[in-house]
Amino acid sequence: MKIEMQHIVKSFGSNHVLKDVSLSIQGGEICALLGENGAGKSTLMNILGGVIQKDSGQILMDGQEVIFESPSESLDAGIAFIHQELNLVNDLPIYENMFLGRELKTKRGNLDLKRMYQKTVEIFEKMNVDLDPRRMVRDLDASYKQIVEICRAMMMNASMIIMDEPTTSLTDTEIERVFQMMETLKEHHVGIIFISHKLNEVMKICDKYFVLRDGILVSEGKVSEVTTKELASYMVGFDVRTESLRREKEPDDMGEEVLRVENLTDAEHFRDIHFTLHAGEILGVTGLLGDGRSELFQAIFGARPIQSGKIYLHGKEMNSKSTYEAIKAGIAYLPRNRKENAILKDMSIFENASITTWPMFAKRGTIDTSKHQQIFKEQRDKLQIKMREWTDSITSLSGGNQQKVVLSKWLATNPRVLILDNPTQGVDVGAKEDIYDIIIQLAEEENIAVIVLSSEAQEVIRVCDRALVMYHGVIQGEVRGNDMNENMIMHLATGGELKIKRREYQS
Amino acid sequence: MIPSPSPTPPVKQKRTFIEGLKHRWSNDPLFSVLIALIIMVILQTLTLGFDYGSFGEWLQAWTNNWINILRNNAGVGIVALGMTFVIMTGGIDLSVGSTLVITGAFAMYLLDTGASGILGGLGITGVPAIMITIVLVMAFGILLGGLIGVTITKGLVPPFIATLGAMMIFRSVTQHFTQGYNTTVPTEFLQLSSFKIGNLMIMPIIYWAIIAAILYYVSKRTVFGRQIIAVGSNERAAKLSGVNVNKVKLRVYALMGLLVSIAAIIQVSRIGSMDFSNAGRGMEMDAIAAAVVGGTHMLGGRGFILGTVYGMLIIAVMNNLLNLFGVPPFLREAFKGLIVIVAVLLQRKSEQG
Repeated sequence: MKIEMQHIVKSFGSNHVLKDVSLSIQGGEICALLGENGAGKSTLMNILGGVIQKDSGQILMDGQEVIFESPSESLDAGIAFIHQELNLVNDLPIYENMFLGRELKTKRGNLDLKRMYQKTVEIFEKMNVDLDPRRMVRDLDASYKQIVEICRAMMMNASMIIMDEPTTSLTDTEIERVFQMMETLKEHHVGIIFISHKLNEVMKICDKYFVLRDGILVSEGKVSEVTTKELASYMVGFDVRTESLRREKEPDDMGEEVLRVENLTDAEHFRDIHFTLHAGEILGVTGLLGDGRSELFQAIFGARPIQSGKIYLHGKEMNSKSTYEAIKAGIAYLPRNRKENAILKDMSIFENASITTWPMFAKRGTIDTSKHQQIFKEQRDKLQIKMREWTDSITSLSGGNQQKVVLSKWLATNPRVLILDNPTQGVDVGAKEDIYDIIIQLAEEENIAVIVLSSEAQEVIRVCDRALVMYHGVIQGEVRGNDMNENMIMHLATGGELKIKRREYQS
Repeated sequence: MIPSPSPTPPVKQKRTFIEGLKHRWSNDPLFSVLIALIIMVILQTLTLGFDYGSFGEWLQAWTNNWINILRNNAGVGIVALGMTFVIMTGGIDLSVGSTLVITGAFAMYLLDTGASGILGGLGITGVPAIMITIVLVMAFGILLGGLIGVTITKGLVPPFIATLGAMMIFRSVTQHFTQGYNTTVPTEFLQLSSFKIGNLMIMPIIYWAIIAAILYYVSKRTVFGRQIIAVGSNERAAKLSGVNVNKVKLRVYALMGLLVSIAAIIQVSRIGSMDFSNAGRGMEMDAIAAAVVGGTHMLGGRGFILGTVYGMLIIAVMNNLLNLFGVPPFLREAFKGLIVIVAVLLQRKSEQG
């Protein structure tokens, strides 16, 4: 089995996502598909998986052209796509999940549970999986769920399996288990396309690599012939595309300490977190998906419980159990995923901008509308929010202006620590620049300590004075000055340092 | 900082009367409800007929009919106002009918002029007894609602289940403890409902109007009222904006309990007794129907106190109409069901248009 994708081109409107990409994969090979967010990896794989259609180009299987108009056509041809969100039903046993959508039936039309069970046992034996098919999927850990999906693909005679960041939410032992499964697949001459950000995993398990950047295949070759540093530099490119907005100030010249975090732990999401933050400083926190940074800062904001550790605000230990207490203490948190976490779709622009401060200015429970109007007017002018009427629905605004409204409700609380989680998510380029300017202005003129959580290394480099890089819930390293570049950040975010330590241990 | 460009003022178009109506139809969610109410009232007025000796006589008959409608619906109307808040948070309260009988029973035991009257036994009678009864019954209502609220917020029991359970418990307990028991309520207590203002028996209507006015203000202007909408609109965003979501929900259910206890006081003082096995049955559905007809979204985030008053009136006037038309009683529920569905259909239409 050999799959060739030739001269694939795909645009969404004016956004050219794939510009003439060609690659080929053999059965029995594990190929890494690498690239930053937005490089075009998912688009390319969605085309191969029949989820979306290419604009031009060809897909060849063993030299014959194939066209996939839907995921099931692609699956029938032997290409299985295992998505990050697994396609399993928690409340059914494994063997019924194996036949989801193509259940085996008896002559009378009932489910043939017995035959489904037997077939599952057979495939598990073939794949060396030691798992009781009668167990409920709910009780399986994430790695076994992956394995069940892989076995399901094998049962449908898949000869090529696409795995989209399968290890993101797995622990180390679970990752081992999935890797063993991948080795077994290789023995059965199945090809694997492994989409991942974690370069040390790529080095460990993959044979070949492809690197996409801005819709172009910039590098390919054998994994044994490259280093993780080289791969990281292929992913980000050598050219720094935009100038840094950083100020001349050295991180050590900052104002007094505002926030200090010691030993903060919530076993599931983050462990043993230490850092300090000074007035007027802009601290970046970055890492890959699932690094636990959002959970960490939500905990500091009082929106999640903390198992152990201490938080000091202005040198005094803080014990906020609710978000309102945190707000009163001077902490503000602009969440990621604006639509789910920040937008009150049934309320007006004005109400969305003032909800945080209603209790602060209320007189006997009645909202002081004129006070809020005065504050919002200031914020609107400062943040240059473009809108028609205050009473219009928040959903009538563009993403960038919605984000500014959300930001304005936090500035209204007069925060000393402003936590911004993915502040430029879903915001157009112009508004993005506005938000960067605002961040720097807040730190510079109002001496607010700002924390910017972002998965884009570029963003962190441009606006932050220094950055913490997280990996699997721990702070992997701190970068500042010349060390704060994309290569170094990517190196740390993919568990770079950890790998060096392991090597030392082994040798 | 560059001053922001002043937003372009929306172009004020001159609208014809019809265009103005169309604009309100699609922009004011209560407009269609109000139109429906007006149509119902016109129909009702026509059905009542003009077969009277003089205009004065006609007005007398019309007013009496209206006072009857309003007085009969004051209790459930008050409950519907609380239900609106509950639904606005994204919840529901099925227990109101049972809370009505348990608080009603409590009121009657406190007041009973017979041997087992609690306050009478303590030697408290007359106006003080009535005052104490009102306070204690309302406190009891708040307590019951608060218990339901704690079950929902701290126990994480879905509102449907928590209030379904409470519905069964409250009625069953009441029925058990009131078996074969006749209480007599002092006549002074009946004055709460039957006191006449200028020859009109409108006290329950006044209670309803006052409560509606207060809750209208609460929903529009207070932190509590707006936080209710925020919680129903996006609970997570509300929490991340510093809203104490559990406190808001707890207070909403406690308020519901308070309003039901007020409805119970009105009912006991109006009739002088209560049928513990039948009173309040179906009350939750009538309250939900009124809220929904008035534009409240079952999923939360949107609701109108004024809309619920309109909704209640629409249902009440329709009942009256069916009565005037002589529609058999068993068929009336079907019309009620129909009007709820039609109301929501119309609202969906005007939202899309």
